[in-house]
Amino acid sequence: MHALIIEDDTAIAEFIARGLREAGFAVDVAADGNEGLEAALTGEPDVAIVDLMLPGRDGLSVIDELRRKGRSTPVLILSARRSVDDRVRGLQAGGDDYLTKPFAFAELLARVQALVRRATRTPEATTLTVGDLVLDLLSRKVTRAGQPIELRPREFALLEYLMRNAGKVVSKTMILSHVWEYNFDPQTNIVDVLVSRLRDRIDRPFERKLLQTVRGVGYVIG
Amino acid sequence: MSSGDGRTGSVPDAASVANLTDRSGRFGLRLAMWYTALFIGSAFAVVLITYLLTSSSLAQRDHEIIQSKLGEYATVYAQGGLRALAATVDAEQRTSRERVFVRVLDGGSEAVLLSNAEGWDPSALEVGTTALLDGAIIQVGKSTEARSDILRRFRASLGLITLSIILIALTGGWVLTQSAIQPIRRLSSAVRHIIATGRTDERVSPGADDDAINELTLLFNAMLDRIEGLVQGMRGALDNVSHDLRTPLTRLRGNSELALAAEPDLERYREALADSIEETDRVLVMLNALMDISEAESGVMPLKREPFDLNEAADRAIELYREVADTKELVLKSGVRRPAPVLADRVRIEQAAANLIDNAVKYTPAGGSVVVDVETLDGRAILRVRDTGQGIAASELPRIWERLFRGDRSRTTRGLGLGLSLVKAIIEAHGGSVNADSEPGKGSVFTLSLPQQA
Repeated sequence: MHALIIEDDTAIAEFIARGLREAGFAVDVAADGNEGLEAALTGEPDVAIVDLMLPGRDGLSVIDELRRKGRSTPVLILSARRSVDDRVRGLQAGGDDYLTKPFAFAELLARVQALVRRATRTPEATTLTVGDLVLDLLSRKVTRAGQPIELRPREFALLEYLMRNAGKVVSKTMILSHVWEYNFDPQTNIVDVLVSRLRDRIDRPFERKLLQTVRGVGYVIG
Repeated sequence: MSSGDGRTGSVPDAASVANLTDRSGRFGLRLAMWYTALFIGSAFAVVLITYLLTSSSLAQRDHEIIQSKLGEYATVYAQGGLRALAATVDAEQRTSRERVFVRVLDGGSEAVLLSNAEGWDPSALEVGTTALLDGAIIQVGKSTEARSDILRRFRASLGLITLSIILIALTGGWVLTQSAIQPIRRLSSAVRHIIATGRTDERVSPGADDDAINELTLLFNAMLDRIEGLVQGMRGALDNVSHDLRTPLTRLRGNSELALAAEPDLERYREALADSIEETDRVLVMLNALMDISEAESGVMPLKREPFDLNEAADRAIELYREVADTKELVLKSGVRRPAPVLADRVRIEQAAANLIDNAVKYTPAGGSVVVDVETLDGRAILRVRDTGQGIAASELPRIWERLFRGDRSRTTRGLGLGLSLVKAIIEAHGGSVNADSEPGKGSVFTLSLPQQA
């Protein structure tokens, strides 16, 4: 997989590039809009990560030009603005997803992978498996080492989300928006509470712990 | 905003202020000229018409006199012939103040009677002619001298009148436009002053009259109120942000510094880094909350109003805290539920309801309960969160909505102290109100009230 980062802040570009390389991507970095557009047109990346505020040519215009030239490269927009209007404008210009700075790298990675997956259309699985933990999406049953595990709907949703991203760290914000469809910061850490309840059901009775907390980042199953 | 001179809002540079010179004077001059031109124009028309009417009625009068004389002389002639006529004319010439010229021509155009022959000058006379029975012609002439004299005097006085009308018009025009542009002057000088100084707390004093200019002044003041509100909201937000970010940033910095100063230890580094990320997340949450509060308080928060029922928001918020309440062994449930339609931003109202529940769940001990009521009372949609928590001291009750206020009870609980301020800001941005009642040791009741959807 080949990713193109168009971002003028070298520190940010650097940490995204390093993270994506560690996740198995080949990465190109462009530091201004024109250079970035050129790289997107000639390099044909599988995914582009585009900052909105760029020297030379702004991010929206890069995306617009890319689409005008008939390229359907999936684009993740990065922006320091969090207003709904900016998000809408970005998506209207042809961006596929939108992430506000600052962000957790785990979230950026998950979104980039989702974009690539959507573009390459990997068929949907009907069961998710992590070690001896099996989640059946159709019957909505969960078993571990053959033993059925009873889960509340919200716990099931969390487990499904973690297992779909098995091996990858998902952030609290991602969980909040996927499991509750909430996009604001609740005062209490309701995600911690739900995770610890889920952990009680799937991990406590077993020797091997599947659900891990990555402090400061999020949670990972696998 | 980036200027360090303590003023918010961008102050225009000298060149653009210079462009804003007083144009109300030019406007006043134009107004005065129009007024004067119209005034003088109509005065001229009146004077001209008066003159023409007078002059034609004078001519008419002369004509009538001549015609009546002609008739009279023709009768005398028919009765007594030329001699009688001559006698009559002679007698009249002596008695009448107004001299009339009479000439009788016989059939061969010979003058047979002529009175005042020395004054017979047809060019200065208005002459009437009539034929007599025997073929002779009688002519009566009347001097136009008197008429011209009257008209001359009349013209002279009309000239004087016109002159004074022009003077009145000019003075009146000047006075009138001065008083008309006076409020505009005041308004523009106030605006110029505000632009030059950046002071948005100045106001233009409205006039006594209820006219369009006064309305403009009031609207302008209202606009200033709004701008000032925005500026103060922003300033408050900036002050708060800079003040409140110092604490977590200090922790963040201290943490990293300590880790670096210590003996190299991978585990310790990992701890420090994880602490840093958590602290950063807290800063971000706080920044977002502060921005939301300032936006809502200053009226710039974009509200996507849609019709929905407060029950839906209450249910979603309860769902959000279901697991938290279970874990804390609290009962979190619906109480009184009646329809409460509102026209509001669904996400923001959910956020407000969630924050109230968050607060209640946080301060209610195990075994207690948090109950959410929704109803409509006196045209207001009400959402009420009742808890059996430790309650709030009466002295603290009025302050709980303040930004970053943290009462005694919450010193040990994790939180930002922004939740309730955000609730208040969101609800007030919707034109609603918030209220809290508490009985220490028994519990608290938090109430949101929004205008019911009509």
